[in-house]
Amino acid sequence: MRKTWRLLLSAIMVIGLLVTAVGCGTSGQPGGDNAQQGDTSKAEVFKVGMECGYAPFNWTQLDDSNGAVPIQGTKEFAGGYDVEIAKLIAQGLGRELVIVKTAWDGLVPAVQSGTIDAIIAGMSPTAERKKTIDFTDNYYKSDLVMVVKKGSPYENATSIQDFAGAKITAQLNTFHYTVIDQIKDVKKQQAMEDFPAMRVALESGIIDGYVSERPEGVSASAANSNFVMVEFAKGQGFEASDDDVAIAVGMKKGNADLEKINEILAGISEQQRLELMDKAIANQPTAE
Amino acid sequence: MSADASFFQWVAFIWEQNWPLFLRGAGNTILIALTGTIIGFLIGIVIGIIRTIPVDHNTSLLKRIILKIADVLLLCYIEVFRGTPMMVQAMVIFYGIAMIYGIHLNPIPAGIVIVSINTGAYMAEIVRGGILSIDKGQFEAAHAIGMTHAQTMSSIILPQAIRNILPATSNEFVINIKDTCVLSVISISELFFNSKSAAGANFRYFETFLITCIIYLIMTFTITRILRWFEKKLDGPSVYTIHGSQTVPEAEIRIVDGGKLHV
Repeated sequence: MRKTWRLLLSAIMVIGLLVTAVGCGTSGQPGGDNAQQGDTSKAEVFKVGMECGYAPFNWTQLDDSNGAVPIQGTKEFAGGYDVEIAKLIAQGLGRELVIVKTAWDGLVPAVQSGTIDAIIAGMSPTAERKKTIDFTDNYYKSDLVMVVKKGSPYENATSIQDFAGAKITAQLNTFHYTVIDQIKDVKKQQAMEDFPAMRVALESGIIDGYVSERPEGVSASAANSNFVMVEFAKGQGFEASDDDVAIAVGMKKGNADLEKINEILAGISEQQRLELMDKAIANQPTAE
Repeated sequence: MSADASFFQWVAFIWEQNWPLFLRGAGNTILIALTGTIIGFLIGIVIGIIRTIPVDHNTSLLKRIILKIADVLLLCYIEVFRGTPMMVQAMVIFYGIAMIYGIHLNPIPAGIVIVSINTGAYMAEIVRGGILSIDKGQFEAAHAIGMTHAQTMSSIILPQAIRNILPATSNEFVINIKDTCVLSVISISELFFNSKSAAGANFRYFETFLITCIIYLIMTFTITRILRWFEKKLDGPSVYTIHGSQTVPEAEIRIVDGGKLHV
């Protein structure tokens, strides 16, 4: 009987050991990271989350050329329009910028839990998102476009109604997906997880086009000659509210830095924004 | 790179441009999958042993109660972690702990913990199956000569059970290598996430993901070959001799070719 007890006890101890061993790995290893967390409370670092895969807003590159910023926990660097804006905000706040590369679905929980301070990832301040997180004023405003395959019958479309009968999709959980309903008789497809998935679908012919914003369309068509961006004249394109086509910084509800960031953003002129975006499109690491 | 370059020229070009990105991603993937599977395997063995402790009419009431409670708790653990997607577990654990306790875990150790407890839940059932696959007579014989449950397990049952569950473990390994890609939601730059980044910049998806496929295949193939080799090693040589008696050295049985008797 005593032996069985000893066995049970040792089993529990083994589990305990495993848990602490792993726990030590968690708390002991990130010496640098802990220091940074300490810093967050002292407000010395400004942690910004983005996908680093949505050129020209944000992308991953291997060196620090064109003012790219190191991505936390990796040897890669992040560049793009979002990074430039993040740099200006961090500078204005007097804090050191840290880029945290996180998948799209992880961004909102990350900011809610305080793992990052802000989302600067080409995210639009939609009414739905505003229920869970706060947004600053816009730092970019763009037009909605359609990206289609070169040589397809939709290449020369001028109005969104020209896409009647076309298989169209957009990114999941974005307003891009809801505006598709404005096209009459469109074959609305299942929403897709991210832009990479949609580009694959478009290239393989599963869809005829996807709804996007101008900067993404410019980059996509510049980087891959199989893609063509279709722009629409005023009144011919999608109708969307300002909140939808604009892009803003997402923050945890009640974050005191929001006002300060709004002031910093107000100091970045329209002209400067255009220049930053043009620079980002020119600098993005395309293969061309 | 000209726009009309061929598919494979693009593949070569993308590899040339992004190989550190791919290799670092693969490194993270293999690190998390490897440690996660090993820790999960150990968790599985411990749980498997606890859940097969025999209960009979001689067992005291207290021990019965404790075993019952342990059994219920372990069953809860197995059902919860086996029955929910790893991506959801990652989100809930990583961001949940940060939100409730204000503890910000480092993503990679957090990823290892998540893969470990997830694998542990599967392995617990695999190990239990392995233990149950050993003939009951061996338990009874061990107990008859006075061995405790721990002794029975460590010297008789587990060496056979572990051999039997190696193919299932190798499955878990391969699944873990592939499934770590969901950990990108907690900012882990593993292979798939890094590939998406590379493709997000060059907009050449098939070419980029072909490289990703090949790297995944190399990793999973290597792991399965290593485990297969280990299985063979555990099986021992197929040609050996059983010495019948120390006093009569000529009384021996030669086993040739995996068990066909040649006396």
